[in-house]
Amino acid sequence: MFLSLKEIKKEKFRYGLIVAMIVMICYLIFILTSLAMGLSSQNTDAIDSWNMKSIVLDKDSNTSLSQSLITKDQRKNIKLTKNEALIGQASVVAKKSGYAKESSQFLGLSKKQFISKNLVLTSGHKINSNHQIVVDEKFKTDGYKLGDKLNLNSDKTKYTIVGFVKNAKLNIAPVIYGDITAWQSIKNLNGQFTGSAIVSKNANFKANNEQLETYSTSTFISKLPGYSAQNSTFIFMIGFLMVISLIVIAVFLYILTIQKLQNYAVLRAQGIPAKTLVGATISQSIILVIGGLLIGTILTAATALIIPTSIPMSFDIPILSSVGIGLILTGLIGALIPIKLILNVDPVSVIGG
Amino acid sequence: MTTLQLKNINKYFGSGSSRVHVLKDINFTAKKGEVNLVLGPSGSGKSTFLTIAGGLQTPTEGSVELEGQALKSLSNKQRDALRLNKIGFVLQAYNLIPYLTVKEQFKLVTKVKKEHNLDDKTLDSLMDQLGITDLENKYPGELSGGQNQRVAIARALFTKPDIILADEPTAALDSERVAEVGKIFQTLAKEQNTAVVVVTHDLRLINFADNVYEIMDGNMSLNNSLKAG
Ligand SMILES: Nc1ncnc2c1ncn2[C@@H]1O[C@H](COP(=O)(O)OP(=O)(O)OP(=O)(O)O)[C@@H](O)[C@H]1O
Ligand SMILES: [Mg+2]
Repeated sequence: MFLSLKEIKKEKFRYGLIVAMIVMICYLIFILTSLAMGLSSQNTDAIDSWNMKSIVLDKDSNTSLSQSLITKDQRKNIKLTKNEALIGQASVVAKKSGYAKESSQFLGLSKKQFISKNLVLTSGHKINSNHQIVVDEKFKTDGYKLGDKLNLNSDKTKYTIVGFVKNAKLNIAPVIYGDITAWQSIKNLNGQFTGSAIVSKNANFKANNEQLETYSTSTFISKLPGYSAQNSTFIFMIGFLMVISLIVIAVFLYILTIQKLQNYAVLRAQGIPAKTLVGATISQSIILVIGGLLIGTILTAATALIIPTSIPMSFDIPILSSVGIGLILTGLIGALIPIKLILNVDPVSVIGG
Repeated sequence: MTTLQLKNINKYFGSGSSRVHVLKDINFTAKKGEVNLVLGPSGSGKSTFLTIAGGLQTPTEGSVELEGQALKSLSNKQRDALRLNKIGFVLQAYNLIPYLTVKEQFKLVTKVKKEHNLDDKTLDSLMDQLGITDLENKYPGELSGGQNQRVAIARALFTKPDIILADEPTAALDSERVAEVGKIFQTLAKEQNTAVVVVTHDLRLINFADNVYEIMDGNMSLNNSLKAG
């Protein structure tokens, strides 16, 4: 510790550069990871907020909410408890003259069921009639206000925004929560259909109907259009970024150690134990990486504060922490690769005669 | 009492036709309480001799014994410990750690060798004698060659070694300083019963020596006739 700190103190500029490089790398990884996670979570934010464990869909829907319909007949024999809720999904374009059009996911709910009951609004109130809607805050960001009336697709009805909810995204589109009867009208369905799906907080919920099938939430999410493809792209992108960054850091620390061999030779000649030299190398790498990591984290947090809400970012602490630990470990490896050189440094070869 | 003994030392560098015989069958003994001077021109094998004596490199043939212990039989770790505790090295170049101030060079030693070092008062008077008292907070890069050399001497003496091995310790010093350094070595030998071995081509040190050796093309011989009076 003594040696490593003294050296950093003397060679401020050199070590400053190295820390700066580590800061950049941390920052890059943290921001990209958070952006990817942010985008990815926009696929599932709404679903996550319901805390559902399973979903019942038409078995010929290819696990797709938008392809699934449940008829009144099928519904008749299903007993819904307080843990189940019917949803009617429709992809809609919300229009109001003078405002940006919003491609959205309309979800018709029944007031008495848990999704509607558990909705947490950031402003306004829940719907009292089937001409009212509660919308994701993306609408607010785009200028919509409480009380605004808008059209959904070609449906003649004007729907009034009476409330806003945060993080209500499905498949990257903002969610519009409305009444299940409004769903029928938007979809132009006759009274024969009761909804698109039944979601349940019970993992073992069964529909007791040949045409319907229960899927786990994770199966359902993995089948969301584009979700799996997008996520594997992200994982590979960030994985490659990590591996390459880690190699860069390891190489830097390796070069740093190599450059110090002459000093190590003098120390060996003086009889300073090898243990002390190895300890100095390791502690120095750790100090540099942790220093870089801390500054990188602060920068990331600062960025999170100033970045516009239209850019989704999600900070997953466990994932970011494991990235951090990965960086510390590679720093260690980078410093340890040349340890054999340190232990076998020949004082004479360096000191000369 | 014998502290350092080199027996039938031969050292070769290289191999095949480029093989050079640098040290030729050298026998050498250093006793406690004596200053030994090894004189020789550049390239005669002085540094090679001294680094072999201090266990920094191994001879091709022959054995080195320090206080009766054969260096060959020691592990790397034991050799490190021996250098730290028993030997005071003053090397020809690169003696100091560039990122430690003069004061910290000593502090580093106390981190790994907690006891039996010079106390503050003795160190102060040694620094004073060497004329480096004001340099405490300077880095080696900020010192002249001669100042560096004197700090290196103080550093070597700091651990109260049984034996001092010094390579050209006075090369960059003026005659007055040379005399100071000579006196310091003499005092150490007489008062602390230290064995001192100095290899140099600096004839100004001759009169501080008890024994003067000459090394020429790898052959060493005792030549006390070089001493004046
Ligand atoms: N590692 C080595 N490999 C090959 N030859 C070497 C090596 N070290 C020293 N020599 C050779 O051994 C001879 C003696 O070198 P040494 O350094 O002992 O001389 P020296 O007396 O200390 O010289 P100087 O007064 O210039 O310091 C020289 O010819 C040198 O070239
Ligand atoms: Mg030499």
